Amino acid sequence: MPGSTNQQIAYVYLTSKLKQTLVAVLGVTFGISMYVFMNSFMTGVNDVQTDLAFSSLAHIHVYNDGPADNTDLVSKIWPTGTITHIHSARIIQYTEGIRQSGEILNFLRHQPELTAITPQVNVNVFFRNGANRVNGTLSGVDVGNEDRVFHISRYMKEGNWNELRYRNDGVFLGTTLAKNLSLHTGDNINVLTPDGVSKSFKVIGLFETGVTTTDKTKAYLEIGAARQLLKKNADYVSDIQVNITDFHKADAVAHRIAPVIPYKTESWAEANQQLEAGSRLRDIIAVAVSLTILLVAGFGIYNIMNMTINEKIREIAILKAMGFAGRDITIIFLTLAMVIGLVGGMIGLALGYTVSTIVAHIPFRIASLSHLPMAYYWQDYALAFSFGLATTFVAGYMPARKASKIDPVEIIRG
Amino acid sequence: MSREIALKAEHIVKYFDQPERFQVLKDLSFEVYKGEFLSLVGKSGSGKSTLLYILSTMDTSYEGGLAINGQALTGRTQNELAAFRNEHIGFVFQFHYLLPEFSVLHNVMLPALKLRRKSRAEVEADALELLTSLDLRDQAGKLASRLSGGQQQRVAIARALINEPAVIMGDEPTGNLDSKNTGIVFDILRRLASERHQTIITVTHDEDFARRGDRIIELSDGRLVRQ
Repeated sequence: MPGSTNQQIAYVYLTSKLKQTLVAVLGVTFGISMYVFMNSFMTGVNDVQTDLAFSSLAHIHVYNDGPADNTDLVSKIWPTGTITHIHSARIIQYTEGIRQSGEILNFLRHQPELTAITPQVNVNVFFRNGANRVNGTLSGVDVGNEDRVFHISRYMKEGNWNELRYRNDGVFLGTTLAKNLSLHTGDNINVLTPDGVSKSFKVIGLFETGVTTTDKTKAYLEIGAARQLLKKNADYVSDIQVNITDFHKADAVAHRIAPVIPYKTESWAEANQQLEAGSRLRDIIAVAVSLTILLVAGFGIYNIMNMTINEKIREIAILKAMGFAGRDITIIFLTLAMVIGLVGGMIGLALGYTVSTIVAHIPFRIASLSHLPMAYYWQDYALAFSFGLATTFVAGYMPARKASKIDPVEIIRG
Repeated sequence: MSREIALKAEHIVKYFDQPERFQVLKDLSFEVYKGEFLSLVGKSGSGKSTLLYILSTMDTSYEGGLAINGQALTGRTQNELAAFRNEHIGFVFQFHYLLPEFSVLHNVMLPALKLRRKSRAEVEADALELLTSLDLRDQAGKLASRLSGGQQQRVAIARALINEPAVIMGDEPTGNLDSKNTGIVFDILRRLASERHQTIITVTHDEDFARRGDRIIELSDGRLVRQ
């Protein structure tokens, strides 16, 4: 038997009651595997949620949010209390969309965090097929860049995304929208703009993002054809969508560039706080559940350690009589606990991985999912392992300390 | 015989607080010499065991002074005392108190492994030699719990001797043994005192056992009545 005397004693205690040791190890194993599984699952869910959200949402959105309310000009000049009689005030001059989009695009492209950027010409229209009419959004897009930001080609059900580049008479429809209008690939669709322009396009493909509102109301068109439809010049853009390296930093980047851009600059989190809230809440649930499991496992270890120490109380007294110091006793029983924690932890990581893999194969066919989502990050595993060790340390330290304070005289004299 | 002092107790006073404050030991002073076989006798409740545990340094809540081998031990920390016991004091208890999950050899080796004065191989050789001299050589590999009472007590003695302590203390070392084994244990202790000049202090009820030693200290109601 190698190692120090204290380690040898711990080793003998560990191996002489294998069954008890095994129960303690299983407690840790269970706690840590559940921790790994819960966190992998929740992270998987969050990742899928993020993916889904970012299929129709860019990290930063630049758009013209309409003119400021300038109808009450009188009170700006005359002192308050002046009585005014103005009715039906309205704005008579207002630029739609983003002017000098080229400059703004150029400025945004020079931001170091930028990974993808796409200009859009979005317009609310009526889609019509015979007597059917559906209100929706026609999105004129830069085909290549749109795919870089939203990965829309991944969601194509029929047709080829890149085909849109060469077909200024073609549109892609969301699957639900096509169904509601009784349309199939190859059919014609009529579009009516708010300005009263009506034009026919050919349906050249269908997409399904899994986000119901998108699939029900959206159609894609080549950006040039969209400008033509709206009778706008080649510089006209209604929205600019930007992706950056880390979407968690979207707020910071948006705030930094906002003062330079004379239009509304909004991060995804600002526009969709419910997504952020959902993601945070799931994280909290995962941590709460797994910490509870670890706590229970910790109590298990604490109990078994306490039992062991009560059983060995005379031996502890003898060890002390022979000249083992309180510190030695603490080390012996802490070693015991830590070995249980280490072994249980390692088995727990393996078990957690196995359970995660199995659960990831359970079918789950809602939205664009086919199986339950699962993420495999080493950080989750590292955290589970260190939490497990910390729990066993605390659960082992308290009884070990108690054991170190045993008064040998009291025990030996009975 | 040289009259070198092995243990010196000065004005030892001890109170029990439970169930009510009660003076167990009343101003005890005495000396024990090197190589002496000393028996502490007295009626139940006379305080003889209490005195032994104070002498053994395990009980530290007393008034007065204690020195072993010229080293003052009163007021030292528990850890210092543990290290001192490890090196200088050997114990034999009434109930042998071996570690049942360890082999006989390992039980004997433990105090020496703790002391780390010698290498593991040397300690093992010492332990085997001790076991041989106590006629336990063939039991060395067995688990301690598999031995008979007499054998276990001899293993406990071997364990007490492994670090060659200056003082060996026994709390009724033969209290749980039959007359044959009592004889064997007495002979071993007697031999240690005379041959190795190790000091033996035992608490005993056994009048015969006490009489065969060098000196008897008798306690009654916490006072020395004979020394």
